[in-house]
Amino acid sequence: MLLILLTVYPILNLIGMSVSTIGFQAAREVWSFTPARNFQDLIDDDIFRTALWNTLVFAVVAVTIEIVLGLTLAILVASVSRFKGLVRTVLIVPILMPPVAIGSMWKLMYSLDFGVLNQIVTSFGLQPVNWLGSTLLALFSIIIVDVWHWTPFVFLILFAAVEGLPKEVIEAARIDGARNRELVFKIIIPLMKPALAVAVLFRIILAFKVFDEVFLLTSGGPGTSTEVVSLHLYKVFFEQNQMGYGALLSLAIIAATIAFLWVGQRAASAVGAR
Amino acid sequence: MKRYDLVPGLLGAAAGAIFAASPAVAADSFMDVGKQAPITILINASPWYNGFESVVNLYEEQTGNKVNLDVTPFPGMLEKGRSAVRDPSKSPYDLININSTWTIEFYKGGFLDPMQDVDPNFQVPKEVLTLGDAGCWDDAKQFRTCKTGKLMGYAPNGNVELFYYRKDVFDQKGLKVPVTFDDVLANCKVLQDPPKSYGYLQRGEKGDSIYYDWMAYMLSYGAQDVKDAENGDFTVTINSPQAKAALDKYIEIGHKCGPANAGTLGQGDLIQLIQTGKGMQAQGVVAAFPNFDNPQKSAVVGKIYASVLPRATADGHPGAAIGSWVFGIPKNASAEGKKGAIAFSKWFLTYKAQYAYAEGGGIPVRGDVFDSDLKKQDKFRWMQAYEDEIPYGKQVFGYAESAQVTNALGLRLNQALIGELTSAQALNKAAEDFYEIFQKSGRKTGKIAPLPE
Repeated sequence: MLLILLTVYPILNLIGMSVSTIGFQAAREVWSFTPARNFQDLIDDDIFRTALWNTLVFAVVAVTIEIVLGLTLAILVASVSRFKGLVRTVLIVPILMPPVAIGSMWKLMYSLDFGVLNQIVTSFGLQPVNWLGSTLLALFSIIIVDVWHWTPFVFLILFAAVEGLPKEVIEAARIDGARNRELVFKIIIPLMKPALAVAVLFRIILAFKVFDEVFLLTSGGPGTSTEVVSLHLYKVFFEQNQMGYGALLSLAIIAATIAFLWVGQRAASAVGAR
Repeated sequence: MKRYDLVPGLLGAAAGAIFAASPAVAADSFMDVGKQAPITILINASPWYNGFESVVNLYEEQTGNKVNLDVTPFPGMLEKGRSAVRDPSKSPYDLININSTWTIEFYKGGFLDPMQDVDPNFQVPKEVLTLGDAGCWDDAKQFRTCKTGKLMGYAPNGNVELFYYRKDVFDQKGLKVPVTFDDVLANCKVLQDPPKSYGYLQRGEKGDSIYYDWMAYMLSYGAQDVKDAENGDFTVTINSPQAKAALDKYIEIGHKCGPANAGTLGQGDLIQLIQTGKGMQAQGVVAAFPNFDNPQKSAVVGKIYASVLPRATADGHPGAAIGSWVFGIPKNASAEGKKGAIAFSKWFLTYKAQYAYAEGGGIPVRGDVFDSDLKKQDKFRWMQAYEDEIPYGKQVFGYAESAQVTNALGLRLNQALIGELTSAQALNKAAEDFYEIFQKSGRKTGKIAPLPE
């Protein structure tokens, strides 16, 4: 009961806020009922639309790369006979790091003038790359950090699944003359569908909520090139102090995430049925 | 202390008491504020923090009163301040430092006690710089003004931007300190050699960084955000031809004289580029200066000099936007905490304390400290430039919607700098943003003709 109350009350409060304008007078909150105004703000908010698009691109590209890399690593590590534990431990280090440390570390690495990446690039006689300052590259640079950060998470889920595959099925396929490529695409991956679905689901949800990497590396810039929904929400709530509209934006983001997952699930079911 | 140590200690104390009683020395001693309850101050970890910490240590030493500091990075200051003053029970802070851009939210919301409501005898000494009346609030006008408003706080630091340059390189190449932005461009032709050296550094990072640095151009070119905020006319003028000229010049200098990442350059980057010897000319906050002379961090110790910011025309004026902070007392602080905060404030604003503050690396707020012997010391070679520039200082966005307005402006300017929008498009969009904000808050607002896109 307490758990339900703790879940339901904040959501009801959020809904209440989303149709209100909240200000302060004489150090007290003053609520006024303004649903139409908040909805109009949402319709007029072109930054939110850009942020939603960037978030979609970020989620789709980052999660796709993470799943491909995570799966490849899981199959490779499962196939080695020695140092499996050591490799697994080394691979999961990025998930253990605090986001602030990750942001600071990559910001230094991406630095135009002092970063290690540009030192490597210029050592080949090339021009330094504007990793975080170019509108074309900035989102891609953040995706690289996300892939580095979260591929180990995907790897862990998929590695456990590969290790749990029935050995006799794989052996039988080998005896029947299946080559490695056929083994992976026709036996292993189909058998791993439930684990893949879990990995994709978790990662999509987390990718939609991305905040720390963007906040620390670019703050949504340059321009709106890396503006994502969580960051926009943060600015509306905390920098602009628009709590009512911020609440409506939160609900819109929750709805967008559910819609995206629903579409993804339908697409996956359609592919699976074929 | 060992027993025999007590004798010289007591003799010293007695001698000190006798000297303190004599008028000449008493005038030169620190203010006695009596025994106070411990206080907690919310303070930002900005470049001038070390100076503030040293003066707080001195206060504790001089008065025996305890001061706790909650040192917070800039991005966390607003939210910590808000949480404290909105706490229905009691504020954890007795004095909070608020960026002048955010002050209105606190004044208008009724979250701070006017200083003279806490202590009717509290006066800001006449030598203290008013810094564009950031610490006063007229609730009827909904505007920051000391003429008709109440004293809500005072500035612990008066930050303006100065022009910084590498004197050794200027001497070597026979360059002159620029008077106008065109002079900056001319110097820049000689100095720009990326990535080895950059001709002019200015912040371009989206948000507070870019809007604040662009103010140097905006104010110098005679552009304004709104027509007459003090008298209630919020007709948006940010897309005036003057503003466009200011933005075009800012972009031109950013592209021709800055690094390739001019659109993401923040304060930390700018200081780092100067410290590493890559920055030849720059505009930066006065509080950043001690970083250039810190031998542990800087490769250019003694080589960076300061001057007044460049201007639009030789006979014009520099655009000195004041980026100060304001110390205020939360309404929900305890009675003894408020009393302690007033005592600290009285002490902090004395000449002696401000002198010590400057020596520790802070930016004092008393004019007479700038006239002192400190100015002659090489360490304080920025003081003359500051003194020359401060008469032009202007507080901008002194109205309740400032957080939203600067947020919108910080984005649009950045979009123009990186080429996502043209300067005219960016300013027209900013004007639309401003207009909507003012309309929603019920201001008397309007628009001027948009710039041709």
